[in-house]
Amino acid sequence: MHELIQTIINGLTTGFLYALIALGYSLVYGVLKLLNFAHGDVYMVGAYIGYFVIQWFGGPTALSIPVPLLVAIMFVVAGLGTGVLGVLIERFAYRPLRDAPRIAPLITALGVSFILENSVLLLFGGFTKSYSTNSFISFSSGIHIGDVNIDSVQITIFVVSIAMMFALMRLVDRTTLGKSMRAVASDREAAEMLGINVDRVISYTFFIGSAMAGVAGVMSGLAFNQISATIGFLAGLKAFTAAVVGGIGSIPGAVIGGLFIGLCEAFAASYISSKYTDLIVFGILIVTMLVRPTGIFGRPALQKV
Amino acid sequence: MKVRLTLVAVALTALVAAGCGSSSNSSSSSAPAATSSSAAAAGTSSASAGKSCKAAIAIEGPFTGPVAQVGLEQLHFAQLAVQMDNKANGTDVTMAQDDTQLTPSLATQKTQAIISSDAVAAVGPAGSQEVEAVGPLFGRAGLAFITGSATLPALTTDGKNPTFLRVVPNDNIQGPQDANYVINHLHPKAVLVIDDDEAYSQGLVKTMIPIFQKAGIKVNHQTINGTDTGATLANAINSLVTSKLTADETVTMLPWQAAANAQQFGLAAQQQHKKTILFGTDGTNSPSQFKIPGTYVSNFGPDISASSSALDKSLVSGVAQFGPYGAFGVPTYEATDVEMKAIASVCKSGGTPSRANVLAAIRKTNIAPAANPLGVQVAFKSNGDIVGQPGYLFKIESGGKYVTIPNK
Amino acid sequence: MPIGVDEWVAQHTDRRDAGTGWRRLMYTLDARVGWWPRLALAVLAGLIFGQLSLSSNIQQVAINSLIYAILALGLNIAVGWAGQLDLGYVAFFGFGAYGYAVLSSGTTHWAAIVSIPVVFGAAAIFGTLVGLVSLRVSGDYLAIVTLFVGQAFMEVVNNVDTGKLGGVNGLFGLDPIHSFGAQITTLKGYFYFALVVLAVLIGLLHLLDNSRTGRAWRAVREDELAAEAMTIPTGALKIMAIGFAAAVGAIAGTVFAAQQDNVFPTNFTANILILIYACLVLGGAGSIAGAVLGGIVVTVGQQMVSSPADAGYLFYGLILLGLVAKVRPWRTLAAVLAGTVVLGVALHAIVGAISSSATAGSPGSAGWIGHVVSHWVIVPKNAVGYGNVLYIALIVLVFAVTRVRDSWRPYLLVPTLYVAACCWESRLIVNPSITAQILIGAILIATMIARPQGLLGTMRVEVV
Repeated sequence: MHELIQTIINGLTTGFLYALIALGYSLVYGVLKLLNFAHGDVYMVGAYIGYFVIQWFGGPTALSIPVPLLVAIMFVVAGLGTGVLGVLIERFAYRPLRDAPRIAPLITALGVSFILENSVLLLFGGFTKSYSTNSFISFSSGIHIGDVNIDSVQITIFVVSIAMMFALMRLVDRTTLGKSMRAVASDREAAEMLGINVDRVISYTFFIGSAMAGVAGVMSGLAFNQISATIGFLAGLKAFTAAVVGGIGSIPGAVIGGLFIGLCEAFAASYISSKYTDLIVFGILIVTMLVRPTGIFGRPALQKV
Repeated sequence: MKVRLTLVAVALTALVAAGCGSSSNSSSSSAPAATSSSAAAAGTSSASAGKSCKAAIAIEGPFTGPVAQVGLEQLHFAQLAVQMDNKANGTDVTMAQDDTQLTPSLATQKTQAIISSDAVAAVGPAGSQEVEAVGPLFGRAGLAFITGSATLPALTTDGKNPTFLRVVPNDNIQGPQDANYVINHLHPKAVLVIDDDEAYSQGLVKTMIPIFQKAGIKVNHQTINGTDTGATLANAINSLVTSKLTADETVTMLPWQAAANAQQFGLAAQQQHKKTILFGTDGTNSPSQFKIPGTYVSNFGPDISASSSALDKSLVSGVAQFGPYGAFGVPTYEATDVEMKAIASVCKSGGTPSRANVLAAIRKTNIAPAANPLGVQVAFKSNGDIVGQPGYLFKIESGGKYVTIPNK
Repeated sequence: MPIGVDEWVAQHTDRRDAGTGWRRLMYTLDARVGWWPRLALAVLAGLIFGQLSLSSNIQQVAINSLIYAILALGLNIAVGWAGQLDLGYVAFFGFGAYGYAVLSSGTTHWAAIVSIPVVFGAAAIFGTLVGLVSLRVSGDYLAIVTLFVGQAFMEVVNNVDTGKLGGVNGLFGLDPIHSFGAQITTLKGYFYFALVVLAVLIGLLHLLDNSRTGRAWRAVREDELAAEAMTIPTGALKIMAIGFAAAVGAIAGTVFAAQQDNVFPTNFTANILILIYACLVLGGAGSIAGAVLGGIVVTVGQQMVSSPADAGYLFYGLILLGLVAKVRPWRTLAAVLAGTVVLGVALHAIVGAISSSATAGSPGSAGWIGHVVSHWVIVPKNAVGYGNVLYIALIVLVFAVTRVRDSWRPYLLVPTLYVAACCWESRLIVNPSITAQILIGAILIATMIARPQGLLGTMRVEVV
């Protein structure tokens, strides 16, 4: 029994990260119909920003400020930094191609991804960097019931992720910005005619999506310690998968998709076969897509004639 | 407008012409990076003989892509070897860099570039599959290549790689050594053996499992995907720790390439309060990354950071500017060193450092244990394997300090 | 004067014919010369190229170019013509390679004349099966399902039946392509072989493109619903497109495996898929000539950036090219260049006078470039940290240059160019492998922004 619960916790920890990154994918896809393949690298940059914040405050073993404050600063700085990075990427790599064939920005996204990953490699070297979280947040903090262990980093991930998701949903549903985002998503030209500043809305969307990826990067560093220039590619791929499986463009879909994939991976590795984990996960996902061709939460697209 | 277009066309043509011109000369030899140009300066100044000993070598490795960590470490140590040996032997050797991203087809392309250049010997490639892909090409060109990390036993026994040499022992040496140590000293009821789905790891696992089974120890063999990173990798490791690591398995073998992944496993076990003794192979030997107390780690060479020899000290200070390093740098240093010394010896005996002469000199290599950082005699058998069988074992003390212990 | 996009496209031919001088001549030639003389001309050029005595490196690059051209041609069927975003394409490439490896060597040793058609047929069936998915899911959802297929292929060859497929250690020492007692063993031989395969495929695909099927594919791409309303069997067409693409990809795989003499799972990763997509989109999706050109340009470009000497020419050359194309009028261009030279010489002198160690390093470029810039760029002895700072400064400056008002731009260009040169000489060229990747990224972005439809693609209106 404790194995089952622990596996669920493992899956959720990774799943929430996928979900946060997938949200950025989905938001951007919603307004631009663009697959932002550089998104995973934005997440990687977020993880690096978090690492340098720790170094700035004295390093993991000699922190000059209380830990909760440090974690909060890491989230905020990484979120702001990656948010601005996202806006810049949109401004320089995607905006010039807004009316181009849909496949063209796919290639500029790859270009951005190459540049980000290799710039980090150039500037900070290939050596894996470690957050060394356990030297300032002990494993024994958190909840321990019998053999089930949830440490405080995992609790932080759950709480912050859920809070951010609710905040995002409220933002999209209730605020003027959210309304304009939805308007741009459903018909960009019509939104422009109604006086919505489409460029600005798209910039905000990129800011929010990238900031969430940056926060996810910090969480990944806190929970799993190791960060390197190459963690972005796979995370981006998984998040893309999560967004599509959940129903691309849908916010609850991205969350459910991320958690679904995280749990699938954990259960496949724990209970079926560690050797064929990936094959099993692909199999489950293909079947899911065949059963629900527009994702779990996706609505069948209305075709305009 | 028209003038401008013409100008663009002219510029383009010039660009292409320039590119073609330089490729047809020799594509990768003209790559004196900062180190080699400064090394060249050092060479001319300290050359005692009148004529300078000029030659070019090349290094293949994964300098970008998922395993850039390994490749860049190898690159930095190799550059250091070129610099130090140029100075010591009065040679003027430059080294070109060829990035393979650990992909055999890319390695093939880069090998053709090396063969077409004036390189007389090559260092690398890093992976065993790459060696399988490029071995026949190097063989046909009569170009010696020495790897510091490809350990698949078949590479030297199948006869397909006539000019291949390695300064590390193959999996048939390290695997049994480690397994026997576990059996004789740690006495587990069962072991958890996890391979990371790559050639290096699978080769070692293949040699370890029969030995454990023969000693009556139950083997629980699991797999992770070593090319996974970050959250995905952590998910797999956490789940393995949760459901596959039982109280019986008091020892866990981690024959992995990435020390950071092994550290991740150790932390996951700590986080879930599971007790097991970790045992890593040479790929995980990195004092700055893998530091779970109570762990055993084997390696081909001694810990140069703790050594008092002048050579080891200069190595440590030489690569300090590139940050920490792991287990892949020192063997690659030695591979480069062998080639540098061979070139110098060819020059000294009055010959020109051609591919054939350098290959012959490399085969005659005999470096005493004290004169190289691996701490063993560096000489090669006729099939290219190293004669000496270095096997070091470390135990990680609390605080992450690596302490050498006898490996028998 | 912006007019409606659709009209603009409609008037394209008129505007083109109204051109003068050599452009008009080109267009007239373009319109008059049929497809097969052009193909013959290209093949002739290839044959002549093959006759040159070239190093094995350049021969290998040439073979790889042709293989990527074939790959891009295949992908073009699914993506360029039928508009199906097939992210599992690299699996068919791998399928072809492994198919050849299993059938034509090991214990079987079939002749290529048998094994290649068998692989072609099997890949078509495999592709059709994958294509069946397109009946159920479409668009980006199809993309993700096909992506899984590609990833699953990697996992299968890695883990399943490692005795027969070799697992991570791959299969090596394959038979060369052989039939009727003859075999191809030289690089030159494989170059001609790949050239013939490519030419035959171009011919067949051209006929296909202009057939009913080709037109129907384009109809499906533009508007599936409308196509269906015109009684076009869209489902069958989509499956066919993915199947045809698979078969062509597998042909590339067989040539690749035979030439490389080995197959490994890591030769068919997502990175290769990305490269094939780059070939197709850069060349121009939907155009046969574009796909072929893309394959050649990307492969040769990749080779150029990864050789430090060539990368230097490419770096300085592209900067000059960009300046010539973008900075106007003439006087400004001359002033910017002169200003950059003066700035460099002055700064080098000043910094050298203050501290001789600050200019003690030598530029990373070899040959005449290194010689020319050695008294111009500032390179200190240990340049890693300095170079990193310059790199960040360069990125900031490039952003700034594109954002400032036009009147300010020339002034900002001067320091930008100088920082670019200093950064290149002190840091970028020192790590040629990493720099190569950064350059590829920058070139991809610049090319796509300059020509969103690809080098030889045609702009078309997308109905959203």
